[in-house]
Amino acid sequence: MTEWILTLVIFSPLVGALLLWLPPRGYEHALRRGALLSTLATLLLTLAAVFAFARQQAAGVTTENGYRLTCHVPWLTAAGPERIDVGYRLGVDGISLALLTLTSFLMPLVVWGSFSGIRVREREYYFLLLLLQVAMAGAFCATDLLLFYVFFEFTLVPLYFLIGIWGGPRKRAAANKFFIFTVAGSVFLFAGVLYLAWFAWKTTGTLTLNLAALTDLGRNGALPLTVQRWLFLAFAAGFAIKVPLFPVHTWLPLAHTEAPTAGSVVLAGVLLKLGTYGFCRLSIPILPDASFELAPVVAVLSIIGIIYAALAAWVQDDVKKLVAYSSVSHLGFCMLGLFSLKVAGISGAVLYMINHGLSTGALFLVVGCMYERYHTRDVHRLGGLARRMPWLAFFLVFFTLSSIGLPGLNGFVGEFLVLLGTATSATTIDGLPAGPLGYGWVIPAALGIILGAVYMLWMCQRVLFGPLREPPDTPDTSAGLTTDLTRREIAVLAPIALACLWLGVYPRPVLNAVEPAIVQNIAGIELRQAQRPEACHLPDATSVATMFPPHPRSTPPPAAGIAAGESLVMTGGSAHVP
Amino acid sequence: MNEHTLDILRTCSLVILLAPLAGAVLAGALGRPLLRGATHWIVILGVAGAVAGAFVVLFTLHGTETGPTTAALALYQWIATGAGTWFAVEVLIDPLTAIMLVTVTGISLLVVIYSRDYMREHHHPQRGYERFFAFLGLFVFSMCALVLSGNFLLLYLGWEAVGLCSYLLIGFYYQRPAAAAAAKKAFLVNRVGDFGFGLGVLLIYLTFGTLQYGSVFDMVAAGVTGAGDPLPTARVTAIALLLLCGACGKSAQLPLHVWLPDAMEGPSPVSALIHAATMVTAGVYMVARCGAIFTASPLAMTIVAVLGAATALFAATIALTQTDLKRILAYSTISQLGYMFLGLGVFAADTAIFHLYTHAFFKALLFLAAGSVMHALGGIIDVRQFGGLRRLLPWTFILFVVGAAALAGVPLLSGFFSKDEIIHHAFEQHWLLGLLGLVTAVLTAFYSGRMVFLAFFGPPRVPEGVHPHESGHWMLLPMGVLAAGAVAAGYVGVHAFDQPFHRFLHPVFASTFAAHAHGQFAVAHGGLWAQYGLLIVSGALALLGIAAAWFAYVAQPWLPATLKAVFVGAHQTLWHKYYVDELYGAVIVRPLRRIGRFCVDTDDSVVDGLLWLITAVPRGLAFTFRALHGGVLQSYAVTMVVGLTIMVLLVLAL
Repeated sequence: MTEWILTLVIFSPLVGALLLWLPPRGYEHALRRGALLSTLATLLLTLAAVFAFARQQAAGVTTENGYRLTCHVPWLTAAGPERIDVGYRLGVDGISLALLTLTSFLMPLVVWGSFSGIRVREREYYFLLLLLQVAMAGAFCATDLLLFYVFFEFTLVPLYFLIGIWGGPRKRAAANKFFIFTVAGSVFLFAGVLYLAWFAWKTTGTLTLNLAALTDLGRNGALPLTVQRWLFLAFAAGFAIKVPLFPVHTWLPLAHTEAPTAGSVVLAGVLLKLGTYGFCRLSIPILPDASFELAPVVAVLSIIGIIYAALAAWVQDDVKKLVAYSSVSHLGFCMLGLFSLKVAGISGAVLYMINHGLSTGALFLVVGCMYERYHTRDVHRLGGLARRMPWLAFFLVFFTLSSIGLPGLNGFVGEFLVLLGTATSATTIDGLPAGPLGYGWVIPAALGIILGAVYMLWMCQRVLFGPLREPPDTPDTSAGLTTDLTRREIAVLAPIALACLWLGVYPRPVLNAVEPAIVQNIAGIELRQAQRPEACHLPDATSVATMFPPHPRSTPPPAAGIAAGESLVMTGGSAHVP
Repeated sequence: MNEHTLDILRTCSLVILLAPLAGAVLAGALGRPLLRGATHWIVILGVAGAVAGAFVVLFTLHGTETGPTTAALALYQWIATGAGTWFAVEVLIDPLTAIMLVTVTGISLLVVIYSRDYMREHHHPQRGYERFFAFLGLFVFSMCALVLSGNFLLLYLGWEAVGLCSYLLIGFYYQRPAAAAAAKKAFLVNRVGDFGFGLGVLLIYLTFGTLQYGSVFDMVAAGVTGAGDPLPTARVTAIALLLLCGACGKSAQLPLHVWLPDAMEGPSPVSALIHAATMVTAGVYMVARCGAIFTASPLAMTIVAVLGAATALFAATIALTQTDLKRILAYSTISQLGYMFLGLGVFAADTAIFHLYTHAFFKALLFLAAGSVMHALGGIIDVRQFGGLRRLLPWTFILFVVGAAALAGVPLLSGFFSKDEIIHHAFEQHWLLGLLGLVTAVLTAFYSGRMVFLAFFGPPRVPEGVHPHESGHWMLLPMGVLAAGAVAAGYVGVHAFDQPFHRFLHPVFASTFAAHAHGQFAVAHGGLWAQYGLLIVSGALALLGIAAAWFAYVAQPWLPATLKAVFVGAHQTLWHKYYVDELYGAVIVRPLRRIGRFCVDTDDSVVDGLLWLITAVPRGLAFTFRALHGGVLQSYAVTMVVGLTIMVLLVLAL
């Protein structure tokens, strides 16, 4: 059963999506409820998966590269001297499970939150949303690169239509820009994946896209630095646009502004995380040397992005665009934490992904509630809404505080760990080899925290406080809304608020789940850095494995022996594996 | 300290934290639908619980004469660092904590009681009554968390949480643009301070590998880093200065003082509680708590002392010209906080905390009395619009005078003892610091007198249509208690009574501040002049300042206007608060917004333009080839024929 639970989680929305075509025209309410039920069912399945994961972890079930709940169906296989091993491989570790849970948690809220906003072509709308869920969940669970790439790319299609059909006035331009940007990056990503597969085939004799096997390659130093550099750039092209990292972020503000509320929430909440997740899952473990070498470059871009986007957010008149720019700034923190290459920093980055998904997603929902009533998001045309809409004011302030990292709410924990990881990166204070960044990197990044408060509070002040200011003939309650938030809207926002509070006060379960995965993830870096003095030439894998055993806290990779054997053969110059 | 005592302390700390929090949550959840005008009860109960807990802590610690008086208790694990270590939610209880707790919760309770009437108009709760009490409860919780915290991370939590409460309460009348702007300003200026504070916390972790008070202070005292290397003084200085940055923000010291006067847009009880008695003293508390770090760096200590003295004088001069009663009090608060920093900087932390404690009484009293005036006059607080309230508001008048006298340093009131002690220690360190303290003392006496004479003396004068009425018991009683404190609270620190306050605190500072101070206890053994000379001088100066104010504002009322006309430049500078706000606007805010616009323009033109250029290549190619795909069948046919011919020729040729 545990073998198939991830498959169920991934494809259950597809079942829901197909069932949506059953109700005849005129039964839109049944349609909406059906979509909601489908997402709730997926949420239940996800919780079951979390439970099963925890049980396996408690039972100490051995894992392949830290993945649990694994499932493997061979697909393209060939035996013999030139083996091919591409398959339907699923599995989750702490990192992907956290993001999967985030996806399944946000989707019902997104669907429920769309009930009043979407009035045309509802069947197609919910159908696409559910398809999007399949793609996102699949991308987080896939442990075969080809499968990952398929899901990763497939997220584009539903979102392209969601923006292009249900978006704002400039929806066509936004959808096109979004699509072209991301596809352009993905081409490089795909080239990188193919090259990696080819290289693996050349060195080990197996054409594999199995993530665990490729990770072993990277960890054991089978990939020369130059190869790693090119691969890193190729992967970065794909992921950096998705994150988005400065300077390829310009598609995001437009896409966010034009997308329907649900699109923005999913985009900010989950899709951007595919970029950071990609860095975390592919670049860092498979390309440890290049990651280490290029970390300062990524960090510089992240820091520029943090400050640049924060300043740009401050001068926006459109609230939604402001939140969109804030996303760019926040994701900069996330990238900084990832490339501190320290457990604290990466834990922080993973938490940051979740936190950003919750608080920014919620901010988009709140802005959506506002927009449905006032048909504008211009700070010059709105003001003093706190008096008219106390509930909206409460949630907007709450998520603002979460977003600017108030201790006690979720944002702080991630932010603090990111900065801690960055600050201590150059030291061995946590018993790990020194990383590429250091205390000096924290100072400009921390400026971003000040600016974060500046623009968010500026927005709150403009929109919520001061004398009441609203466009004529508003608030528009024609779509069955009330002046203040309806009970449905409160019920959509309240779970997110509770999650924010919980993660701020007691993040321990998440940190506990994530940490082993991170230790596993940067084991390559540790191993490679530990033998840095002789790093210039291709290392002898056995000597590495014996001289520098994996970090005592990291669970030793069960395939280490085999992997070492393989690379031993490889360094011997032969491509034959017995 | 035995297990039983630890259990008591653990229970107390939980009560102190959770009772106000529960009050706040219940007030927030049930206030509007259920409790309404009775919401104050639930918060009063919560805060009273905290007061009880605080007193139990005080007496428990006071009772344990033997053994260590410090208890560190971990409640639960909060954030993992990835090294298998966690930052815990833990509390540290020592005499300093106990005194802060008693002061904070005690004043809070009085202010919450006072607010019951203050937040009503014509006996009906104001709009947002429930919200107000919920925020107050939340504040008490946050402040207690700040004071109780046992590591720097939790300190940071409390630090930011009190800032949040301050933000929410300054902006309580959010429909007034000034209030909304002041709230934002307070939060942001504090964020600037917290930027330094946060970096300091990270540097502490980087240096020592832990954030727990005890371990960090032990390592500083031993002069080693977490890795066992010798600790460079430069590193300690850097940490101390970064922490000081946070203290400057929270305690409104130069150059981050700009938010506090604006914070007076909040309701008066908030000004009394948060912006006078408790939250703004967090910086003082923090420096005192981190004494080990600060005293290890002579440079940092000098900066603390100079900063404190400079701020004290700077703010006192501004207070001379302002006309908004609450703003005068705000500048006075900044000035008094400057005194506390001066005290810390001259190694007299116990005296600084003593001043913190007496100041809490008389400044809270002054703000509450000013609030009483405001309540009576329908929200007007500018002394140019009223005067001679002595007969109209007799009780408020008396209470205000008591507070002002204590602030002015009239002999034998609480403010007199603590301030004199600070000046005394300042003289021990450097005569210039002492002199600055004395000058400030004269100015303080002058503006205190000015407030009283302008507001309460002269012919009765009230704005039109306002019928002043004396406040009710709910407001007068808490003020009475505070007035008693303003008169008598100082005697726990008087030499004549053997300074029980200082002796109680002594174990906390014994190895830090006290170990570095010159003749900390020499005072008691010195000659008669050394012991009482300064006391007499500063007392005389206080009376002189008040007399001068009386002369200028009662005896010769034409004098201020004449002075204003003669020294127009100086007056304008003081009236505009040395133009600091304008400077920040011109140097920081506007340039940053300009850069922001530039960033957006760059996004729209340069980055997108570059990308357009890149896409221009395929687009150009496509444009060329488009001519071939015009949809004209003949051209396709021609192309086909030509192509086929070429291919056939090629094949034949090969």
